[in-house]
Amino acid sequence: MRSYFWIILVLLISSCSTNSKLTKLNAYSGIYNEQPISILIMPPINRSTNVEAKQFFHATLHVPLANSGYYVVPPFLSMEILKRESAYDSELFLNQSLDKFNEVFDADIALFTIIHKWDKNKIGAKVFVEIEYVIKSTKTNDILYSRHGSIEYDASVSTGVDGIYGALADIALSAANTAATKYVDLAKVCNRYTLTDLPKGKYSTRYKIDGDDLAGKPKFKVRLSAKSY
Amino acid sequence: MKNISTLLLFVFLISSCTTTTTLYSWGSKKKYDYHTNSYNYLKVSDDESIDSIKKSYIDIIERQDGTRKTVPPGIYADYGFLLLSSGEKEKGTELLKLEKNLYPESTIFIDRVLKMLNR
Repeated sequence: MRSYFWIILVLLISSCSTNSKLTKLNAYSGIYNEQPISILIMPPINRSTNVEAKQFFHATLHVPLANSGYYVVPPFLSMEILKRESAYDSELFLNQSLDKFNEVFDADIALFTIIHKWDKNKIGAKVFVEIEYVIKSTKTNDILYSRHGSIEYDASVSTGVDGIYGALADIALSAANTAATKYVDLAKVCNRYTLTDLPKGKYSTRYKIDGDDLAGKPKFKVRLSAKSY
Repeated sequence: MKNISTLLLFVFLISSCTTTTTLYSWGSKKKYDYHTNSYNYLKVSDDESIDSIKKSYIDIIERQDGTRKTVPPGIYADYGFLLLSSGEKEKGTELLKLEKNLYPESTIFIDRVLKMLNR
């Protein structure tokens, strides 16, 4: 009887794992082959019912990509050029040739973000987001990275400091907190969680040597909060 | 009251002691929070949000605690672009050139932008 308990426990733990059994070299072979240096952030595609979701995610993509070691094409300057060239609607380019983006921005890869769902529960403490991240080569148009997340986010505010001092600071912060800040944090945590899996770029000390690391699952479900990072 | 002030000061000191282990730092939290200021700029692009994002850029440029100890990609160029948009042509152009010097992979794009602006 006791052994059944342990078997079930092991099964439960293993099913909760967020890693696939593939190494990054196998899961993202295109990135290791092409060795992209620069990345263009495409304005997120918002298919959810929250009209502001696009801005929440757009504002928080620069940091995780730069911190992964990539040259990120200046996000606001590139956005302005995309608007001027009538190319601000990323949906139009998701399945089209990206040659022009390579030519104009000299970007090796482009990140498309598709927000499928953004629902919150009645008191707004939990938000359910379904989001997809697709990185395509601007040279071959191949998909080099694709992850699709179903994320449950605990939107109650936290400073990330534990203990009594953290609790006190949380109370102080909650008073000044606005919904916008809360949802910027949500997008920040989702982006960081999903893009952490990206093989490191040129400016990282782990460039070209992280191929043996285990890759995350291409489709995942996770619970996150402001304390996750 | 004094006790609460002391506690808050203590919390602030603890949080400010953390070291950055990422390649770049993105400005001090709260007032100059880069993410929030980017969101406000994207959403409204009014004078106040432009002023706030400019302060974030200055903060990121002047204080780099990341492991690379250098300004992150895109920051000089985006700041320069905002200055150019508000008529500060000389300083804006100088910042775009700094982006090119620091990140040579930006050369084709930045040269294209400079050419466009000089038309």
